[in-house]
Parts: sequence; C-alpha cells; structure tokens
Amino acid sequence: MFASSTNELKMLDMAAAEFARKQLAANNQENDKYPFGPFFDSVLHKAYEVDFFHTILPEALGGMQQGMHALCTILDNVCRADSSLGGIIFTNTFAQKIILSANGEKLLQSIVSSAADAKRLLIAYPVFNNPTEVETKVQAIKTAGKYILSGNLEYLVLGGIAAHAVIPAKIKGQSNFSFFIIDLSDDRVLKSDPVLSLGFHACPAVDVTFNHAEGKLLGDTAKGNTYFNRASDVMHVAAASISAGIMKGAYKEALDYSQNRFQGGREIFNWSEIQMILANMAIKVKIAEMVIAQACQAVDYMFSGWRLYSHAAAIHVSEMACEVTTDGIQVLGGVGYMEDYGQAKRYRDAKQAQCLLGIAPMKKIRYLGNLISN
Amino acid sequence: MLSDSSIENLINRNPKFDDITSSLQAIAKLPKAIDKETKKVIALARKFTDEEVKPHAIDLDRRMFEEPDYLPRDFVKKANEWGLYSRWLPKAVGGEGINLPSLTFFLEEVASVCLSMANLIGVHYLGVVSLSASFNMRLFKKICKETVAGYRNGKPCLISLAITEPGAGTDVEETELVDKGNIACHAEKVKDGYVLNGSKVFISNGHLSTWHIVIAYGDLKRPSESMVMLAVKTGAEGFSFGRQERKMGQKACPASELVFKDCFIPDEYVCIDADQMKHLSLSSREIAQRIVDHVLSPSRGGVGAFGAGVARGAYESALEFASETKVAGKLLINHEWAQCMLAEMCKNVMLARLSYIETNYANSLHGSFKQLLSKPAYFFNQYVPKLFLEKFFAPLLDHPSSTNQARKQNLEGQTVSEQQRTSGWASLSKFSATDLAVKNCHMALEMMGQAGLRHDRRVEKHFRDAKLLQIYEGTNQLNRLNVFKCFIGRSFPQAVVFDE
Repeated sequence: MFASSTNELKMLDMAAAEFARKQLAANNQENDKYPFGPFFDSVLHKAYEVDFFHTILPEALGGMQQGMHALCTILDNVCRADSSLGGIIFTNTFAQKIILSANGEKLLQSIVSSAADAKRLLIAYPVFNNPTEVETKVQAIKTAGKYILSGNLEYLVLGGIAAHAVIPAKIKGQSNFSFFIIDLSDDRVLKSDPVLSLGFHACPAVDVTFNHAEGKLLGDTAKGNTYFNRASDVMHVAAASISAGIMKGAYKEALDYSQNRFQGGREIFNWSEIQMILANMAIKVKIAEMVIAQACQAVDYMFSGWRLYSHAAAIHVSEMACEVTTDGIQVLGGVGYMEDYGQAKRYRDAKQAQCLLGIAPMKKIRYLGNLISN
Repeated sequence: MLSDSSIENLINRNPKFDDITSSLQAIAKLPKAIDKETKKVIALARKFTDEEVKPHAIDLDRRMFEEPDYLPRDFVKKANEWGLYSRWLPKAVGGEGINLPSLTFFLEEVASVCLSMANLIGVHYLGVVSLSASFNMRLFKKICKETVAGYRNGKPCLISLAITEPGAGTDVEETELVDKGNIACHAEKVKDGYVLNGSKVFISNGHLSTWHIVIAYGDLKRPSESMVMLAVKTGAEGFSFGRQERKMGQKACPASELVFKDCFIPDEYVCIDADQMKHLSLSSREIAQRIVDHVLSPSRGGVGAFGAGVARGAYESALEFASETKVAGKLLINHEWAQCMLAEMCKNVMLARLSYIETNYANSLHGSFKQLLSKPAYFFNQYVPKLFLEKFFAPLLDHPSSTNQARKQNLEGQTVSEQQRTSGWASLSKFSATDLAVKNCHMALEMMGQAGLRHDRRVEKHFRDAKLLQIYEGTNQLNRLNVFKCFIGRSFPQAVVFDE
C-alpha cells in the first residue's frame, strides 16, 4: 500500500524536510559549483541510506513501494533546499520506471542487489529529452544474439557518475525506437566531461559516444514509445513537485528578506508593490500545492483521466515556478542576483526543471492530443 | 478650422504631442549626418563582434566559472585597441566625436552575442556621462584626455560610476528616497578637499577602471541636499578594492566593492559640491536630481539597448535551432506554433529597439545629448579639424566660465517638461526592453528544450545575463514608478509618488 494516510505522509514530509535542512541547505551554494568544485558524494550517500532512490521500487526489490504522493513529498522538500539532488532522484526513478514498464524487474533486481553504494545503484537517463519527439541518433545492430550500439547521445543525465544507463536507440531496419540498458563502465562507451549547464549543477550530464558498445534490450523491440509514455505519464507529477519545491524556497527567501531589508526608511515588505509581488508568489505556491496534491491522488489511485492530471500539473507548475523564481530575485534586488544567496540558483533550476521530459510547448500540444483521444 | 490657440490646447492634452513625437520632431531638428555616422557605427560593431566577441564570449564566461576573480584585461585591451573607449568622446578632448546615441546601436550588436562584453564597453560611458553630468568642463577634459592617451599608448583608462551602497540601492537614485535611505558614504569637507569614508558596492567595471566618479554625501542626515560628486583615481591613498561579487550572469564584467578609509580627495577632483552649486538658481536638492537624471536618462536608454541585444541574441539562437532541428517528424521552424513564437520574439526585439531609439531622440532634443547634437554644435565638432579643436577650443574648457555656462544651459536650462520627458522615456525603455529580454530568453529556452540548457549553445548565458537588466539602473519597479511620476502622476495633484 502507498503511504496514503495523512500521518504517514506527514512523517515522510518531516523526515525529508529534516534531511533537506541538515544535508542540503547549509552547503547548497558550494555543492552547486560542480563541475568546478567537488561533487557532493556525502549527500548522495546519505540520500542512498535513507532510501530516496528506492521510493517507487517494489518491496521485492528492496524498495519502499510507494506512489507519487510519497515521491513528490520527498522531491518537494529536497528541492526547497537544493534541486540538484531532486534531479538525481527524478532521473534515477524515471529510469527505474522505464525498466519496470518494460517488465524488467529481474534486470532491476540484479542492479539493486549488487549495488554496494549509491553510484552503483543509480541509473542514468537523458531525462530532458522526449525520444518520441526528437529522434535518437544511436543505432543498434543485432549481431550474434547481442545488440551492438553505435552513435552519439547528448546530455545523458548522471552519465558521468552512474553505473548503468537506460538509453533509446533505433534497431537497424525499424522505424520506432527501443530502450536498452548499458553498462557505463564498458570502455566502448566514451563519456565527455560534465556538460556545463544552466541549472542542476550537481545533477550532471555528459555527452556519450557508443563505439560498438553492448546494450541489453529492455522489453520488446520498437516499443520505446509505449514504455516512455507509461513512465512519463506517471512521472510528470514528480517533475511538477520539483518545480513546486523550488517555488517554495524562492517564496520563503523573498518573504524573509523583505522583512529585513530597508528602503526609503522602512522594511521593503511595507511597500505595497513588494506586497503585490509577494502575494502573487504566495498564490502561485498555494495553487501548485493544491494541483500537485490532486494530481498525486489521481495518479496513485488511477482516477479516470489520471494522465491528464499529471501532465497538466507539470506544464502549469513548471511555468509558475519560472515566474516565481524571477520575482524571487526581483524582491532581493542586486543581492538576489548573486550566487551567495539562493535565488539565483532557483531561477536557473526552475528553468532547467521546465525542460524535464521534453520541449515545453510540445508538452502542451501533446496534452491536447491526449485530452481529445480520451 | 482650428485656431492656433485651439491647436496648442488640444495637443497639450495627455498624451502630450511633445511627449510622443520625439522621433518625428527629430527629423527636422537633428543633423542628417547622424544617419550615415550611425550606419558606420553598426558596421563597426558587427566587424568587432565577428572578430573579438563571438570567438571568445563562451570561453570567457566559462573561465569566470572556473576563476571567479579573473579580470578580462585582454578583452579590455582589445576594445581599447579598437578605440572603443574614446571614439564617442568629443573631438575637443581627443575623441572621435561620434554622436553618443549611436553608441546604443553599437551596444545592441555586442549584447546580442555577449552582454558582459557589451558592459565592459558601455559601462565606461556611464562613467563618462556621470562626469559630464556635473558639467565640470575642466575635469571632464582632464579625465577624458587620459582615456584618449590610454588609447594611444595601449593602456586602457576606463571610468566607472560608484553610486550604490551596501545599505541603499534604489534609494540613491531618487532624491525623494535618499533622505530616508541607509546612506553611509560620507564626504567631509576639509581644507583643500574632502575626506571620503564608506564603501560602494556592485560597481560595474570597478576593478578595471582608472577613474571612479563617486557619489557621496556631506551630511548623511540630509543626503539629498548635500550630494558631492568626486573623481577618485585608482591608487589614491585610502582607496582600495573589496570583493568582486559572484554574479549569476554578466560574469566577465566585474561588480566591485570600492572601500574608502580617510581617502583625501583634493579640490581639483571635486566634480561638483554644494559650494559649486551656489552659483545656480536651483536648490541643491533640485540640482542633485537633475544631475542624477542627466546620468540615468542616457544610461537607462543604454540598458534598453542591452535589453534589445539580449532579446535578439535569444531570438536568433532559437531561430537557428528551429531551422535545423526536427521535432515530431518535421523541422521545428515548420510548426505553426513555433512560427508564432518566433514572430512574438522578433516583435519583442523590435519593440525593445524602438523604445531605446525613442529615448535617444528624447535625450537628443531635450536632455543630455542636446548640446552636442544641436546642428551648429554637431557640425562644428564634425568639420572643424581636430587639431584646431584640441589646440584652440579645448583650453577654453579649463576656464571656470565654461563650467558655469554649461551648468546654466543644462542644469538650469532644462524645463520640467523636458526633464519628465527624458526621464520618463528612459525609464519606459529600461523596464520594457529588459522585461522583453527576459521574456525572449524564457521563450528561447522553452523552444530549445534540452539543447538550450547547455552552456555551449549560448542561450542559457543570455538567460542568466538578462536577469540583471531588470535590476541595475534602478529596479524595474522603481522605473515603473518613475514613469508614473513623469507621465501620469503629474496630471493628478493628489497623486504622491515614493511616499506611500
């Protein structure tokens, strides 16, 4: 059963908040310096210890077997403090979802059971792309019962730190793509340095070249669309919760600052234009909370049209987060633009989060398509 | 038909004819040669951008991530070699005498590729305009001549403006706010000069500049009535640089802290103070606001040009991506929604540009550029040989009567309507163009998805860079209030601005 009762979720909420406060909040600027500073290995290790990477895994695989409400609760709390870890949790969970969608429990079990640490457990995935829209450039050829992969894959998230990756590739002669799992320690998998990116600095991506590397087929051939859509329908609400967490962090910092910074002889909170900005931020935060709560219920309990809840939540909340974080800097003025405060990072991270699972306007077009087909 | 007095009455209703037709009036009033000169400036900007900006912008920005204290002296040196720090200075002080509004077109071109590099050039002219706003002609000549000498000897001599304080950002830009602000930079009058104490923060190009035009206050309880503008040279005893800020974007343009501890500034480097203001018929508070407006009206137009440049850079990146990337089976540029989005972005660029051009016209007819762009002054500057100007005209600038005359014409001579028009348009351009820049960056990233997130695709840099445009030269909220004050509130005696 999912942690559906208020008390269970409250406990999870408190635990995640405590984790964010202790492990993330104090060092989020330092951790964000990656790849020009050290990677936050100790945080990754702690997140592994508290099972953040096992949330949706079935109990049989040593997981918590939780639904979206629980995952979103964790992501929301984590992303208030540092959305890079949220990006890692999301990417890994998405890859797990694809494997599970393709009936790959055994494969997942072998990964989970042999993983001695977080990095061995993590699975990389190009989570900012929708392979059903932008064609993969990786080709697979079946030779002697094995699939051999060649070509380039851009922006494989966690590709530089994870042990395995789930990637889309086209089997020669087929028009639809399939999913493969790759051992990233294979020396025929060539990885670039971390790609310097807008946000999520400590959730790094690399470009990868497959030089006749071996891949294991996930599920059936040419079924990539199906597996991607199954995972993505569920995980859109999780993407929304990343954006919601970022929004909440931005609003809190703006509110705190406005009560301490003086302009024209009084706290800037007492200027009504600042109140207007803060009010708009607060309203958007509250709406995000309501939308995600409703969407989680719909997804976890498969309400009629649950997919639409999930997609609408992600599209709307990620857009709101971009607005809220832009205003979040504005309230702080010059200091908000400095990386010493949290707002600049949130502004970057919110935009990065909006790109999860594909091009934002295409998500809207796709949503309408789903609505009509429903 | 309408009588002349009826016409006068009708066109002075809001919106007033003069407020909305600067560009129209400029056709007759400004020298036609500006057109040809500006064309050359844009061509120069494109050549400079192709050779010095595009090839290095991304690498320089990446280097700033790796070495946050790095100072881009190589780029400044290169810009100096191209004469970019002196071309827009008057010929009488050794410059090329190119019309100042054309600088905004130059800045748009550079900003469309790299806003940091545009700042490394443009902010110097903020210093120049600040110095010139004091209308201290002797000091203006002296410092500008050092910049020109720096061009000739290959040692860049930049000028910065130091106004923002740790406890006061927006407050220092309006006399209505400054008296209530947390002001701490104190200039104490002593024998033969001032002793300066306090600090300034977020000073663009601070670490790279030789001269700093510092706004300080003689009486911290009444700053609006005791403003002192001082020229402080790097290396002066008691003056040091503090930290270089860790900005999200515009990283290559340093935002510096300037620290003054018992820093003695001799009288010869006082641009203007209460004693010098006594010669004018306006109150010191009115003069302070006019000086601030003479700085901000052109500089906010310049920020409008930055905004147009970034809006254009984001649009051009998205357009390039859309023209070469297939999404859902066809090129993105052939999706109708993408075409509408690109049209919207193109519109944003054009509106941003129009806003700063109109501000240029307002400043040219009624504000800071008026003196140099009147037809007689312009042609005098253009056609009288430089040698003659430097040898026979420049020495006149040392005479106190030049300063007195310039102050009377520019500080006293500007009407309230003209002040409102230039200040209002500058604020309108500043917040419109910069909001449009941020909007275009959002749209470009939405259209490009994963590709846009990469540093090497440039658009994420535009997104980071653009945000600061909504903050410096007065937050966009302050500029909205200024538009209310200049164009709206003036018709409502009951309206109170900056004193809620």
